[in-house]
Amino acid sequence: MTSGRRSVDGMLPLTPAVLHILLALADGDLHGYAVAQRVASASDGQVRMGPGTLYGSIQRMTDSALVEETTGRHRQEGAERRRYYRLTPFGRRVLERELERLAAVVDAARRRQLLPMPDSA
Amino acid sequence: MSDHPRPSRFARLLARCYPRELRESYAEDIARFIDDQRRDPDRRGALSGVGLAAALCADALGSLLDAVLHRRPPQRRAPVRWGPALPPLPPEPLVETLLQDIRFAGRTFVRRPGFTAVALLTLCLGIGANSAIFTLVNAVLIRPLPFVHPEQLVVIWGMSGGQRQLLSIPDVEGMRTRARVFQEIGLMRTQSVNLTGTEQPDRLIGSFVTAETLHLLGARPALGRLFTPDETAPGRGQPVAVLSYGTWKTRFGGRPDVLGRTLLLNGRPHQVIGVTAAGLLDSYQSDVWIPITSAPNPAWFTRPGTTVWALGRLKPGFTPADGEHDLQAIATDLARTYPAPGGNPRIAVIDLHEAITGGSRFMLIVLFGAVGAVLLIVCVNIANLQLARATTRDREMSLRAALGAGRGRLIRQVLTESLLLSLTGGALGLLLGRWALAVLVASMPGGLPITAPLTLDGSTVLFSVAVAVVTGVLFGAPAAWHGARAGLQDALRGGSGDRGRARRLDLRNVLVASELALCIVLLASAGLFTRSLVALQRARTGFDPAHVLTAEFRLPSVKYDDSVKVINFMSAALERLRAVPGVQSAALVDAVPLSGNYGTIAYVPAGEPRPAPADAPSAGINLVTDGYFRTLGIPLLAGRDIALTDNLASEPVIVVNQAFADRVWPGQPAVGRSVLLLGPPDIMARVVGVVGTTTQLTLSETPTPQIFAPKLQGGGIFASVVVRGTGAPEAMTRGLQQAIWSVDRDQPVWKIRSLESLVERDLSPARFTVGLIGAFAGLALLLGIVGVYGVMSFVVTQRTREVGIRMALGAEAGQVIRLMLRRGMVVVGVAIVLGVAGALAAGRYLESRLYSVGGADPATMIAVPIILGTAALAACWFPARRAARVSPAVTLRTE
Repeated sequence: MTSGRRSVDGMLPLTPAVLHILLALADGDLHGYAVAQRVASASDGQVRMGPGTLYGSIQRMTDSALVEETTGRHRQEGAERRRYYRLTPFGRRVLERELERLAAVVDAARRRQLLPMPDSA
Repeated sequence: MSDHPRPSRFARLLARCYPRELRESYAEDIARFIDDQRRDPDRRGALSGVGLAAALCADALGSLLDAVLHRRPPQRRAPVRWGPALPPLPPEPLVETLLQDIRFAGRTFVRRPGFTAVALLTLCLGIGANSAIFTLVNAVLIRPLPFVHPEQLVVIWGMSGGQRQLLSIPDVEGMRTRARVFQEIGLMRTQSVNLTGTEQPDRLIGSFVTAETLHLLGARPALGRLFTPDETAPGRGQPVAVLSYGTWKTRFGGRPDVLGRTLLLNGRPHQVIGVTAAGLLDSYQSDVWIPITSAPNPAWFTRPGTTVWALGRLKPGFTPADGEHDLQAIATDLARTYPAPGGNPRIAVIDLHEAITGGSRFMLIVLFGAVGAVLLIVCVNIANLQLARATTRDREMSLRAALGAGRGRLIRQVLTESLLLSLTGGALGLLLGRWALAVLVASMPGGLPITAPLTLDGSTVLFSVAVAVVTGVLFGAPAAWHGARAGLQDALRGGSGDRGRARRLDLRNVLVASELALCIVLLASAGLFTRSLVALQRARTGFDPAHVLTAEFRLPSVKYDDSVKVINFMSAALERLRAVPGVQSAALVDAVPLSGNYGTIAYVPAGEPRPAPADAPSAGINLVTDGYFRTLGIPLLAGRDIALTDNLASEPVIVVNQAFADRVWPGQPAVGRSVLLLGPPDIMARVVGVVGTTTQLTLSETPTPQIFAPKLQGGGIFASVVVRGTGAPEAMTRGLQQAIWSVDRDQPVWKIRSLESLVERDLSPARFTVGLIGAFAGLALLLGIVGVYGVMSFVVTQRTREVGIRMALGAEAGQVIRLMLRRGMVVVGVAIVLGVAGALAAGRYLESRLYSVGGADPATMIAVPIILGTAALAACWFPARRAARVSPAVTLRTE
């Protein structure tokens, strides 16, 4: 997958579902339902993903190489075969760029005093 | 999270709701996700089973929408079915093909705005008219009455000479106490009641009842209480009253202190003990409920009498016929003890719903039939348009078939298009129906028994959707059938086969012929009703209704307790009325023609043996003062008018109408003869004059013999005023009221209306029906003509090449036109034969409701085919002429 600077910017901005999935996978590989759980807990239950939303997004993210299925990291309990997903290097760059972009937006909002400063400031 | 080897069957089933694109890669994962979610302890509290299902539904719908919006190019292509015996294709998922078909159909319609607009417009008209009429039919005929066990409720009438008649209170009481199959019987009589002691004398609609009646009607008190059986029992009645909810709100401001208040009703004090709850009783339009024992006239409690009707509740399991049998036996027994002059009435027990709606059932069914026929015509028209289009789609269909679409798939595609069209049309139709219903309600004649407000409710919506679906299938079926027959050969040949076209044309011709036949049936029915209405409008009423104002009043019997007081009031009132400026003549009468008031009396011509009471003939009886015939413009044919001098002191005299004279003394002078009027008491009266015959109850009645007796001789506390002026009758309203009030300022006067309005009221149901059926027939004619034109245009286009060759070979324009017309005229001819046969059948059904027009009225049965034939000929002529005008060279070149 070619991953120049230009194609990273071409992915932005991310839809909320994609952003949340990327965030959830940033800590490590997860299977589908674990992604949904992680997203729910990270957003204090604000974002609840159904299977359609989740796999629809994962399908599109796989097509644009943001995530990939892991190979060899299946848990082998019984006949269970779950697919695990992980961030590609390209996906990680897209996530970082998106977070930088969002941070810039938040900064701008703070400078215009639309948002309170963080406690440390 | 517990890991199970395989997702549950339930989860796998749910996963099938997701779009194919997703399932191809993730079916197993989605199912596992659903299982995880169900077992997840964190979510169990937050989402119950129902919540989870709802969330899943929303999720699946979102995915479907997503898949439709971002459909990726298909990755698999259906195998081409060229060779022999390929394995069958896997079944396609229903939801997706449906979505696909809908999108495709939508695009097709957008591409053909003309067709779509015409189809939607006609569907909208057809379905809209159906929803409106259905609402009416549902409200009147289908919806059960809002009572507990309405099927047990019956009305009890007397029947005499085919006419409904009231019964006497003692007779009904006798039946009530002895009846075996009734749970309860209540008495009822509705009559105007004078309310005095308030600022202005007023008239209320009073219902004289027994406690049982209110119980039968399901009345509940909103305030206070209702009657106890003791309070309404003959001989023990109490002067109490129950107000209707509406009266309490409007006349007494809804104040609770109305309880215990004393009202002067018909001059007698009545204590208000309760107010009925709003709802059930509203349709009875009664202002106040009064015990039957407060009857305005003590004669109500004597035999024979025509004072009350009764309401009954049958014991469970008994039919009205059982009830009738039961009561008739009692009545026959009573009649042996108390024979009535003119015969004791037969007892009729009628289902309450039937009694309320029976009168309008026929017209509603006719209207429903007419509107249904219009919808059928709409179906045929759109089916024809679709068929014409199907012909141009042959290649598309063949190609689809060649690419592997099964027959079912092709039919489904075409039907989806039809249904999309009909459901859209139905939705528009419902909007139109709402409006149409408002117009209908506004123009409806009074007297339609509506027990609930007319609104487009759930059942109407359900009905309209059902109609839309049936319509869609009906008009889609021919095209679908055609599409499914599209053969592979046609596609390969690159053109459409001629054999197929001939058959298709036959189908179209059959459709058009049936459509035109339906048109004829509708037009003929409309024609019959119109001719009947015209005859009714020309019907001889026998009086001149112009410039006449009428009104009614009833003197309180407490205040006017002897006939001298009554007669003094009447004479004084008459004198004052004649003095009102602008009044040319005035009179008092018991029953103004067409007002609904009517009385009969049994009589024996003098010199004839007195027959058994039951066999005595009867005639209409009306009490009038002098000047009545002049005021109404009724001609005096012989003898003299009733005079002021015909009073209590003078010899009893009567005037009879020509119908009476013709019946009793055919061909002989009537003046000077005497007639014994059977009472009690019997009175021998001398005929002093003969007047022209008038209609009394309805315009359509056959002339009835009538006797007019002097009002000032017979008394009676009820009277109607008739005054004739020169200008608009309403201008005399104030003068009329003042004249009565100048005699007694407490005397209410009501029903102040012109005689013309009474004639109009009698005509209005007929007008309403004629207007509606006429509109439906007009619509049908328009649609039929459009249908013929469409088919002919299609034929002409299809045969352009043939015509070109014929003309190139020397055919004249006239010959070409004749050639083209011939086919159209055969279709029209067949339609006329079928249509007239149908119209004659319809005429037989309608005959009983037609006035002086037969069901097979020749004028209608000849005129309608001529009108339709001419219109159809014109519709054929224009396309035919177009064919003949085209230059042969151009025609040939285009092919």
